[in-house]
Amino acid sequence: MKQTPQELLVTQRMQPGVITLSGFLGIDQRPLNEIIADDAQTLLRLDITAPEIAERMQYLTDQSQQAYEGGIIIDGSYEVETEITRGKLPCPFLHRGLQRKTVTTCTHLTTGITIRWTALNIHMIKEHGFFEGKGSPFRLEPGTLIKVLFPDAAHRS
Amino acid sequence: MFVSIIQDIGITSLVSGGLALILVIAQRYLNDYGDCKIDINGKRLITLKGGSSLLNALSENQIFIPSACGGKGSCGTCKCQVLEGGGPLLPTEKPLLTTKEMTGNVRLACQIKVKSDVRIHIPESIFNIRRFQGVVSKIEDYTYDIKGVIITLTEPETIDFKAGQYVQLETPIYAKVRQKVGRAYSISSDPGNDRQIQLIIRYVPEGICTTWVHQYLNEGDQISFTGPYGDFFIRDTSADMIFVAGGSGKAPIKSILEYLSRVGTTRRMRYLFGARTCKDLYLTGEMHAFEQVFDDFEYIPVLSKPCPEENWQGRIGYVMPVFPELITDPANTEAYLCGSPAMIESVKKALIELGVPKDRIYYDSFG
Repeated sequence: MKQTPQELLVTQRMQPGVITLSGFLGIDQRPLNEIIADDAQTLLRLDITAPEIAERMQYLTDQSQQAYEGGIIIDGSYEVETEITRGKLPCPFLHRGLQRKTVTTCTHLTTGITIRWTALNIHMIKEHGFFEGKGSPFRLEPGTLIKVLFPDAAHRS
Repeated sequence: MFVSIIQDIGITSLVSGGLALILVIAQRYLNDYGDCKIDINGKRLITLKGGSSLLNALSENQIFIPSACGGKGSCGTCKCQVLEGGGPLLPTEKPLLTTKEMTGNVRLACQIKVKSDVRIHIPESIFNIRRFQGVVSKIEDYTYDIKGVIITLTEPETIDFKAGQYVQLETPIYAKVRQKVGRAYSISSDPGNDRQIQLIIRYVPEGICTTWVHQYLNEGDQISFTGPYGDFFIRDTSADMIFVAGGSGKAPIKSILEYLSRVGTTRRMRYLFGARTCKDLYLTGEMHAFEQVFDDFEYIPVLSKPCPEENWQGRIGYVMPVFPELITDPANTEAYLCGSPAMIESVKKALIELGVPKDRIYYDSFG
């Protein structure tokens, strides 16, 4: 799949050391649009949209930030903790605004599965359907995300 | 066949060389913008050869607008008001500006090319900002993820800052990092020692600058930074003071306390430091030592989740429930907070409920 100049620019911004230490593509050799298209196929199969996932992640993140410090139990199903550090990060897709540097760790209490995401992850999933490349430190496998965030939908698959 | 290949290579080289020559000539003559003037706040006029970015043009004239990405247009930090000149808003700027900023002529200094006279407005405090070179004199491990770094200045040899302000450390090109970046850290030392600064830096996974400091920086290394920045400093009043910090938020409070211990104060002060376990506490002895220096000061670490084996004898829980006990005259209290936004919000809410005036709550919420 041929890449547009915009995609090439975004890919450049996703390289290690530009916005984050390891970048957003990991060891993934696929062009950016293929990475996004492949994950979109997974979502289609599971009948969930990227904005729905992002909304759920945002909800859990917001709830966890009500806690002054440490993790909290949300809806009796999740233990969630969000750590915030100094500074903000821009979106590699040249989207407006900056995202706070946060890491949210979420454990589904029934399955014991733990996943973690950043504020930038939520933004990139919501606005760009991008879950990061394979091997990236903050890559989120859509299947795993759905297992944790939408256990019923995962069961349907 | 061989001759044909050589001919093709020759022709390609000639064409490429010709194009490169045209580009060089175009750069030399077509991009010659002549002398341009930058009017800053109507008070200072800089004349320079046009063509460079506004950020670089200012920096070459010792005016340092904060920038975290080294002028790559990715951080959105180098905002300034461009009242005249500067050309149209660029697509690379729009993502990093709010609608209000765009209508208020706020631009990214790194994205504007000075091609004609420009009139800008920047905060007056920026005139005091300089670029400093120094040598790392000491690196100490405070906790498993927090280090203290002392920098001795070499050029210029002294710095003038207010306790509570911060600097932007410049990360060099290292490992996978292919461009310089700047990151903000509060100064944790007393402004009275103007030949050295100390920074307290917590490791952030995937952080470009903190990884460099924690894994690559050594004593004796050269280091550069710009500063001082920020308006988080104590107000010169007689009000009671409550300090609340967590993690590396201890840095500016330490600087303020060291400054006050030098100049002296009789103000009533209480300092709450929130942490999770004993492993997250550091400089505890140093902070308690201020209780012997000041007439009315108390340092109170509060742990939210102390491990049983730590046998913690101090306070347990969050810092907010301790406020009513410590703040005896809320209307006459100033609060200085440094930590995560969640911490700042919770603390602010509790302080306001207690009666601390909103406009007397000063905070540095990790930018």
